[in-house]
Amino acid sequence: MEIMTIKKEEIKAFIAETSFTEMDEIKDDTMLFEEGIFDSMGLLNLIAFLEENYGIKTADTDLVEENFQNLNAIEKFVASKMQ
Amino acid sequence: MKSFTPDILRIKNPEALTDKICQKLKEDVFRRFRRKGGVVGISGGIDSSVTLALAARALGSERVVGVLLPEKDSSPDSKALALKLADKYGVQTVEENISDALSGFGCYTRRDEAVKRIVPEYNPATDKMKIVIPKELLEQNLPPVFYVTVIFQDGSEISRRLSPDAYLQIVAASNFKQRSRMAMLYYHAEARYYAVIGTPNKHEVKQGFFVKFGDGGADMMPIGNLYKTQVYQLAEFLEVPREIIERTPTTDTYTAEQTQEEFFYQLPFEKMDLLWFAWENGYPADEVAKVVEMSEENVKKSFANFERKLKTTEYLRAKPLHDYDFWKP
Repeated sequence: MEIMTIKKEEIKAFIAETSFTEMDEIKDDTMLFEEGIFDSMGLLNLIAFLEENYGIKTADTDLVEENFQNLNAIEKFVASKMQ
Repeated sequence: MKSFTPDILRIKNPEALTDKICQKLKEDVFRRFRRKGGVVGISGGIDSSVTLALAARALGSERVVGVLLPEKDSSPDSKALALKLADKYGVQTVEENISDALSGFGCYTRRDEAVKRIVPEYNPATDKMKIVIPKELLEQNLPPVFYVTVIFQDGSEISRRLSPDAYLQIVAASNFKQRSRMAMLYYHAEARYYAVIGTPNKHEVKQGFFVKFGDGGADMMPIGNLYKTQVYQLAEFLEVPREIIERTPTTDTYTAEQTQEEFFYQLPFEKMDLLWFAWENGYPADEVAKVVEMSEENVKKSFANFERKLKTTEYLRAKPLHDYDFWKP
């Protein structure tokens, strides 16, 4: 559980850094795309970040809103891929 | 608020609207900017054709120059259509092939090098390429994820998701095309003391489907507030040649042919126009869904998509920021 929390913070830090958004503006349920924090480039960068840092492979079929819409979704997606 | 109907965007009096646009165009070119005429880049596409027709009507055909700006990836049909168009409105044309300028910028080599990083088998001399958003991803309420499709000489195809760096390099290299065109249009405008009349329509402007300081670089954009279906309606009124009206809009950017719907808009124009208008004017999704024959959920997804596009493309529409007003005497 603790490992997942750390991951979420790492991901949040990455999102904050690449989107020039303050960390505290990104909540677990902040809708990253709807809020305009991330666009196409943000999504491509996020996929590359997750693949490099967690050794996962994102299949084309994984590219659904449920996997990337907010931090909670991303955490769940990464956890499912790491199993 | 007017009830939402399939013909809500229909221009009731195309002549009156054309007259208003032409009156303003005339005022802007002659009075506001004090230029002697206008140049329009013509590609044989619907937007540049309607813009040229409006310019000729507003300024007089003798004060308009249509500039053809082909390069080695351009569709061969474009030239014939553009010439036919200019002939129809009695407008003088100039042809400037920008392939050498683009080679000088490294447009093709930089683009092809990035494509090869993703598809090493790609041979630019024989194969064609385009950037696509796979159909399965279009229904997702996510920003588009871009893939490169290579069409090999034998007709076989391969599509692979682009890495961020390859995507950026391909787009940046390809944008040399629109920016070189802009530079050439300004050459012809300045050499005559004319204005550059831009061709983007409302969707291109609002959804960010233009290149900043490329096709987005112009002195005025007379169709910049018209929906695509309205551009077609004016084309009919202005009697734009039938082949142009019936031609499927393409990006004319990559070596493989690609429709604008496939590349960017993700929806047929008729639906997209109605959805965008509905979203901009606050029509409820359930009312819109019945008219556009989509589920309420998908209408809401489209609305979310528009909102996202408007926000994420603000950078493209922004003028250079010069409010660094710190010095005081």
